[in-house]
Amino acid sequence: MSRRALLRTMAAAAVAGHTPAFAQSAPRIVSLDYGLASTLLSLGIVPLAVSDLADWDKWVVEPVMPPSVVNLGSSWEVNFELLVALKPDIILTTPYLDELLPKLKQVAKVVRLEIYAPGIGPILPAAIAATRKLAVAIDRETEAEGFLARADAFFAECRARLAAKSPPLVALVNFMDARHARIYASPGLYHNVLERIGVRNAWTEESNYWGFQTIAIENLSRVADPDARLIAFEPVPADVLPKIMQSPLWQSLPFARPGHLSILPPALMFGMVNEAMRFGRLLTDLLDPKE
Amino acid sequence: MNRIFGRFALGPAIVALAFLGAGALLSWFLIAHTLEAKSHAGYDVPRMVLFYSTLPRLATALLAGAALSLAGALLQQVLRNPLADPTTLGISAGANLALVVTTLFFPGLLELGRDLVALGGSAVVACLVMSLGARRGFSPFSLVLSGLVISLWCGALSAILTLLNERYLVSLFIWGAGSLAQQSWVIPVSLLWKTAVIAILCALVMRPLSLLDLGEGTASALGVRLVRLRFIVVGGAVALAAVVTSAVGVIGFIGLVAPTIARLSGARRPQQLLLWSPLIGAGLLLIADAAIQLLAGELGEFLPTGAVTAIFGSPLLLLLLPRLKVRHRVLQLKERAHSWAPAGTNTLAVALAVLLVALVVAAFVGRGIDGSWGFPHAALFGDIIPMRLPKVFAALSSGAMLAVAGVILQRITGNEMASPEVLGISAGATFGVTIAVFVFVPGLAGQLTFAAIGALLVLAMILLSSMRSGLAPERVLLAGISLSAMVDAIVGVLSSTGDPRAVLLMRWMSGSTYSVDARSATTVTIAAAILTAAAFFARRWLDILPLGPSPALAVGIPVRKSRFLLFGLAGLMSAAATLSVGPLTFIGLMGPHLAREAGLVRALPQMAGAAAIGGALMVLADFIGRTIVWPYQIPAGLVSALVGAPFLMMMLRRKS
Repeated sequence: MSRRALLRTMAAAAVAGHTPAFAQSAPRIVSLDYGLASTLLSLGIVPLAVSDLADWDKWVVEPVMPPSVVNLGSSWEVNFELLVALKPDIILTTPYLDELLPKLKQVAKVVRLEIYAPGIGPILPAAIAATRKLAVAIDRETEAEGFLARADAFFAECRARLAAKSPPLVALVNFMDARHARIYASPGLYHNVLERIGVRNAWTEESNYWGFQTIAIENLSRVADPDARLIAFEPVPADVLPKIMQSPLWQSLPFARPGHLSILPPALMFGMVNEAMRFGRLLTDLLDPKE
Repeated sequence: MNRIFGRFALGPAIVALAFLGAGALLSWFLIAHTLEAKSHAGYDVPRMVLFYSTLPRLATALLAGAALSLAGALLQQVLRNPLADPTTLGISAGANLALVVTTLFFPGLLELGRDLVALGGSAVVACLVMSLGARRGFSPFSLVLSGLVISLWCGALSAILTLLNERYLVSLFIWGAGSLAQQSWVIPVSLLWKTAVIAILCALVMRPLSLLDLGEGTASALGVRLVRLRFIVVGGAVALAAVVTSAVGVIGFIGLVAPTIARLSGARRPQQLLLWSPLIGAGLLLIADAAIQLLAGELGEFLPTGAVTAIFGSPLLLLLLPRLKVRHRVLQLKERAHSWAPAGTNTLAVALAVLLVALVVAAFVGRGIDGSWGFPHAALFGDIIPMRLPKVFAALSSGAMLAVAGVILQRITGNEMASPEVLGISAGATFGVTIAVFVFVPGLAGQLTFAAIGALLVLAMILLSSMRSGLAPERVLLAGISLSAMVDAIVGVLSSTGDPRAVLLMRWMSGSTYSVDARSATTVTIAAAILTAAAFFARRWLDILPLGPSPALAVGIPVRKSRFLLFGLAGLMSAAATLSVGPLTFIGLMGPHLAREAGLVRALPQMAGAAAIGGALMVLADFIGRTIVWPYQIPAGLVSALVGAPFLMMMLRRKS
């Protein structure tokens, strides 16, 4: 059984096993952040509603969000009429939505968790701390420790698998158009995962607190290591690959050699522990393919 | 010898050489370290970057600069308008909007070629602007004014469409801000032959074009077919702008700057202007792009060239304003244009009734958890209605204020295209919010404060800068709109860096009542009541000022003072309204016209009618925006702009 299938089964089991019991006892929780929503699932709670749910499968993909969850509308313009009608007990939010705080507090108890904020530093430790805080706030501390221990074990396993392979340096990008890309670096989530699983980031410049930098594609030549690999994530705009393949500059970059460019399914770059694990799994499976 | 010098003016040649030389020097700094490094055998990326990125980028800068400047020079010559260029006439923005719309909704069409799509967008905008211009004898002010309005509208709509459609897709912002980054020679080579073909075509009409300098009457008498000539030359300029925009995005104001410099340095004859402008433009864009690359290397930040040139180019518009001759046009007060228009009081009653219905619908109708339409559930009534009412009242007050501000502006400027956003107040507010969001990261209250400061600063700047011209109306409007263009460019730069905070700005610019709460709604409603009452008191001024300065002086109205006060009043109203519905304020254009079309001709009834109509329209726009794509929301400003655009086009086409 593949890792992904296993995780999916576990998530499904958690949902199927717990939902009926929760119907009476579990707090009604709304999440205004993808990472917090997936963390809720891992703590054994199905959120009542999540913002921007329509794009969940495009950016987060897993864990699968049960169909009962309500879409709250745009993540920066949460639908308040809907929110009030849902009568939640707790609303989970992030510094990104601080300007909504006063209004959110009128609706329900607000739990604000800092993961992406100026000066907060490496994202993965911040996400782990936020997971613990969340667990305290919703009384799921045992589940959280279990979940974080699984995450630790998972990263350790990835690290062990890759150590045997002496993995190449990787540069991580999202192509924006045929001339520009976002590249992921310290202190971002992807970068922290690379450190955890013992892979070196080929992009050594420090980026903004979200962990990315916008570059023109020729700047990929600043990647010094000739054996580095380029990992791009879906969605890749349709015209990008054909166009850059025609560029002699691209042809001269190390990434143009066969096997040095990989396209991975989407993994949320602004997520929490689940998203870190998904990224770690996608990357580990890519660098150490299992038959 | 003299003849050669006459034809081959020395001044512009020296200037062009100086710019190209400076550009070459900066470029040398960019590439020197690569050239000095020893060539490795085999794997030599720095050299590849030099050959396939840096050099094509420099070539692209030269070619794009030359093409846009040629377009600007052609437009300035054929329209006899020193402010014309692809940016001020909205041509580049039209191309960009066409590309955004096609990318988002009809990606298949892109296979026909980006150039064709861009050309289509540019052509539509050019036709709109020209048809308005033709009505006004191609008056420089009206052309540039309508071009910039359309340009701002296209820019805002592109940004909003992008925002609504793709969560992380900021590539279209980059495009809108014009990046010259290259990874091969494909773009410069195609730019080269396309520009060359169009330039040769335009060279063929050089003789008739230069005859235009003798005046249109003389030129026609000498056998110049004006309509055909205009069509060819404007078509060529539009094609040049479209080719550049489809390749690298919107590069602002180069086409305005280069011919101006050519003229200032002594290029007087059309041949000189058309020869030296492209060379100067090529040098300028090369300097700008090389400087940006050197700077970006230092900062480690991504900076789009087009937006940066716009930041430096748009103030030039302000500096150029005194060079334009101003003629005050007397507004034709049309007596009841339509037979259906009922008598004034009846019209007002109808407008108020519509407003009332709009208010009731907006306040009580909504959608439930499952998306069904209806009144709120009884148990939720007390929760949901207090949530909706502030938005409804903010929309009402803003709509009313914008419409009344529009009446004031249209009356004192005699320009029926005048509206609050044209004044630049909304731009000032946006700029304030930009600073607030990026520098201080305050809450909503802080943003509102900064918006107000920004709006009032712009107002003060407009008033001060136009004081010397005796507050000549069109100059005020043009000053305002060039500020808008600059703010637009600044926001473009910030957005294209991909900073998530840019989303806040985009939201602001799209004009949403989302963040309105009971307190801010109360504030804006009180402001609307006071300011509208003040406007009503000024009705006598507003009845007389449209007749021109002399009649006003004759009946004892202090023209300067009254204009100052009225501009101030309109500015305050626009600022207050912008705070809740953003800078897209087409209501301010539509309200006054609808009121006048409905037979409300004199100042007081027109203001009252416009207030009711503007308020009702904004309330409906807000209602539609809140419900139509439930649970998502479309900002009221965007909805009103979507309605306002066809209205604007209708107005542009209408024969006077």
